[in-house]
Amino acid sequence: MKRNKFVVIGSGRLGANIATKMSELGEDVIIIDATEDSFRKLQETFSGYQVVGDATDLSVLENSYIKHAKAVVITTDSDNVNIFLSHICYYVYNVPKIFVRLADTDKGRLLEGTYIKAIYPFTLSLNEFMNLSEVEEE
Amino acid sequence: MKIVITGGKHEADFIVKMLQEEHHQLIIINQDREFAEYISSHNDIAVFPGDPTKAYTLSDAEAHNADVLLALSDSDTDNYITCITGKRLFNIKKTVSKVRNPKNVELFKKLGVDSVISSTYLLAQTILNESSIENMIKTLSIEDEKIVMIELGVESDFALVNKRIMDIHFPKNINISCIFRDPHVIIPNGNTVIKAMDKLIIISTPNEKDEIIEFIQKKR
Repeated sequence: MKRNKFVVIGSGRLGANIATKMSELGEDVIIIDATEDSFRKLQETFSGYQVVGDATDLSVLENSYIKHAKAVVITTDSDNVNIFLSHICYYVYNVPKIFVRLADTDKGRLLEGTYIKAIYPFTLSLNEFMNLSEVEEE
Repeated sequence: MKIVITGGKHEADFIVKMLQEEHHQLIIINQDREFAEYISSHNDIAVFPGDPTKAYTLSDAEAHNADVLLALSDSDTDNYITCITGKRLFNIKKTVSKVRNPKNVELFKKLGVDSVISSTYLLAQTILNESSIENMIKTLSIEDEKIVMIELGVESDFALVNKRIMDIHFPKNINISCIFRDPHVIIPNGNTVIKAMDKLIIISTPNEKDEIIEFIQKKR
């Protein structure tokens, strides 16, 4: 089985832009969202597939080539859904690279002992603020 | 036992009442404030209003080291997160989740939830069992589907009619535990002869079930 797909779950601003960028870089991208409307956020340069459906339904994931995914990026607007999906991708489909966006840093403890990588907008913003305020002082 | 019950409406209320009678230590968490108050006043017990998918709620409620956690909310995802948080971060021994989507029964078990309950799944199992009665076969699963009990009617054209059990070359993993020959109940041995109209009660494993049914129904 060849793993050559790049799967993005959740077509919000972050998901849609990651999907567009990876598509521009030549990746075979599949993006999943529960509402078709969300795909408007994709840029014109996006040339991958769009799947409308609830990704917590395994048949939707399988129709989106999750078994052939070399990487998955999970960016729905619910932390609980994101953790659940990352566990499914890790324990059921053994996707080699898993990235998940989490608003609550506390939830990251549920990823301990796995190779799932979390992205915390909160931590990134805090660090950026500290950087910016340091520059001001100098 | 120390039991944590999260979410749920009337089923939570019912279970709380039942477990209270058995004198268990109950920790009840319910996100719906109105319902939390209802359960609280109805059963004379403290209810923590809060989101059980957050670690700090379980921590505030002192759910650590509980024997059982029961997740009863209407969201399958939330129930999963509650169970996994309880298990991994609070050392809760056994987690039980209710699910709406019957497909999640197998999935949740695979992901580490100890016990998963779906009313639709149970309903489907019951219908499957009921529908096989038509062919005079009833099955009952015990010990989490590791053992099956099969009830099977013998018809006069079956190959094993009028044969002694010791002379029949049964497939492996089969035990005819009991024969019902109206009005008698027979505990069979090798010398017992199988007759038409007998009802056989057979203990077996799920894997062998179909093979056994096929074997017994072989016609002469």
